[in-house]
Amino acid sequence: MTPRRAVGTRGASAFGYAGLIALLVVLVIAFFVASLAVGYAPLALPQAFRDAVSGQGTLAALVLTELRVPRALLGALVGFSLGIAGAAMQGLLRNPLAEPGITGVSGAAALGAVIVFYFGLAGTVPFALPLGGIAGAIVATFLLYGLAGHGAGTMTLILAGVAINSFAGALTSLALNLSPNPFAVAEIVFWLLGSLADRSLSTVWLVLPLMLAGWTLLILTGPALDSLTLGEDTAKSLGFNLGRLRLMLIAGTALSVGSAVAVAGAVAFVGLVVPHLLRPLVAHRPGRLLFVSGLGGAALTLAADTLVRWLPIRPELKLGVVTAIIGAPFLFNLIYRLRSTA
Amino acid sequence: MPIDQQSTAKWATVVIALAVAPAAAQTLPADKPARIVSLNMCTDDLLLRLADPARIASVTWLSRAQRGSNVADIAARLPVNHGLAEEIIPLDPDLVIAGTFSTRTAVGLLKRTRIPLVEFGIPRSIEEIRGHIRAMARLVGESEQGERIIGQMDERLAAMPSGTGARPRAIVLNPNGATVGRGTLVDEIMTRAGLDNVAATLGIDSYGLLTLETIVSNAIDVLIVSSARDEPPALATEILKHPVIERLSDRVRIVSMPARLWNCGTPAVAEAVELLRREADAFKRGRATQ
Repeated sequence: MTPRRAVGTRGASAFGYAGLIALLVVLVIAFFVASLAVGYAPLALPQAFRDAVSGQGTLAALVLTELRVPRALLGALVGFSLGIAGAAMQGLLRNPLAEPGITGVSGAAALGAVIVFYFGLAGTVPFALPLGGIAGAIVATFLLYGLAGHGAGTMTLILAGVAINSFAGALTSLALNLSPNPFAVAEIVFWLLGSLADRSLSTVWLVLPLMLAGWTLLILTGPALDSLTLGEDTAKSLGFNLGRLRLMLIAGTALSVGSAVAVAGAVAFVGLVVPHLLRPLVAHRPGRLLFVSGLGGAALTLAADTLVRWLPIRPELKLGVVTAIIGAPFLFNLIYRLRSTA
Repeated sequence: MPIDQQSTAKWATVVIALAVAPAAAQTLPADKPARIVSLNMCTDDLLLRLADPARIASVTWLSRAQRGSNVADIAARLPVNHGLAEEIIPLDPDLVIAGTFSTRTAVGLLKRTRIPLVEFGIPRSIEEIRGHIRAMARLVGESEQGERIIGQMDERLAAMPSGTGARPRAIVLNPNGATVGRGTLVDEIMTRAGLDNVAATLGIDSYGLLTLETIVSNAIDVLIVSSARDEPPALATEILKHPVIERLSDRVRIVSMPARLWNCGTPAVAEAVELLRREADAFKRGRATQ
């Protein structure tokens, strides 16, 4: 791990910050194109693109615009949301293990979305599906903050997460069992592991406004989060309203994670791995970590979703399987290093 | 749900053999059993067509669903079970009919009692449907009614002349992206209706999964979508409503097929053949006028 940089190197790290953003944007674009290029039908991407732009409704253009583009867009949106929410939760709870999946926020969001979807609200009320996910995420985030906020140790955080996760998981299973549709019970796999298969552009429009609202709220907390590293008293003396900061973090996290989980299921570990990797590169400043973690999350999710289609395993793996295989070693490593302080 | 087709075939034969001449290990049913229980939705369908409801002690709860069942009206008046041995034993049945792939726990328990039990497999052709109807009719002492039903089905099938000209290329899309390939009842129904089952040429034996990408890029003529109207929501059926299917509709004929017509091997398959034949003919007319 890179040692924490001295305050005096701010100029250099500012250049590094811009460079880091540029690098991550390039990565996101590269994996976005990879995601468009990999799929189940042989597709000449340039030709399909030309057909789509010139308005010719060829089959290749249909595959590109109706299937591949929505999937890649959602991969980027879901990944950005999970990455930025992970960084925000770590800032809020001041614990590097805080992450939507581990803390049960994703699980509760899945519960909210499941209740809305299987009981028919998603088809009748606009935005009901993401709002259901957001409602679940808000309840879980408040609960988590109540249980493990105020500088509680890692042990409390993890136990609170275990409790919220198992409770939300049990209720999700109950809701699926009560659904009148016989297919519902087996679909717990999607909600627990997540997937981006067969999504459409309408799903993108459904979550985009809510996600953008969530990201904006979180990025606005950046300066306050940075000052919070100097201690609550210093932050207050610098004029930051901590109550308002917490509310913005909770609302922003819930909007991001709730929308993401409502359309892609609970994709694990993105919010853990990405901030963990990027933190040393932004000189451990939690405010700056937010935006870059969003970009990193988008790149990782797009890469994982490309991998599930590229691997010769059919039906394709759930997205959460791949992110967990990548992410779990990071969690082990973090726990190992936090042993002494827990 | 990939099913090992070879072993399916083997077991279907064994089971039909059992149905025709129940093995000695199991108690033989009476000539005309009077408290019959069915544990499978597909056997419910045949049983309710063959035997007087007064002789039926229980059918599955699934058969009451208006959307999925051909016999919902009769099933609504009968006691229902959920495939649990505990529900069955107190009914003191003199014949239990089960499917070879469902309610395995209950079947396992019932085999250890003296209750006569017969299992029916999944028919993979119309000829096997005839065999199933005959076997069940004999079991419940209604052979004449069985022949009558087979006769009606065959009459409807024979009324359709064999198609001429090019066969429109078709694919079946079921919930979860499942499709049906070679060696299945659905494949035979499509062939009889004059369609070419593209899933079979893609090398899918029995059942398999297809992605929307494969379906879109295969330049098909007819897409047969398992009908899911008014069904309670599930992710499994979301794929059937994907906007790309709507976008395909100007070049592909989208056909909505009620699952109850061909999910079980019943005389309703004649209606499925008729439906697909009408669609195949309409597609050919549409192509001719272009």
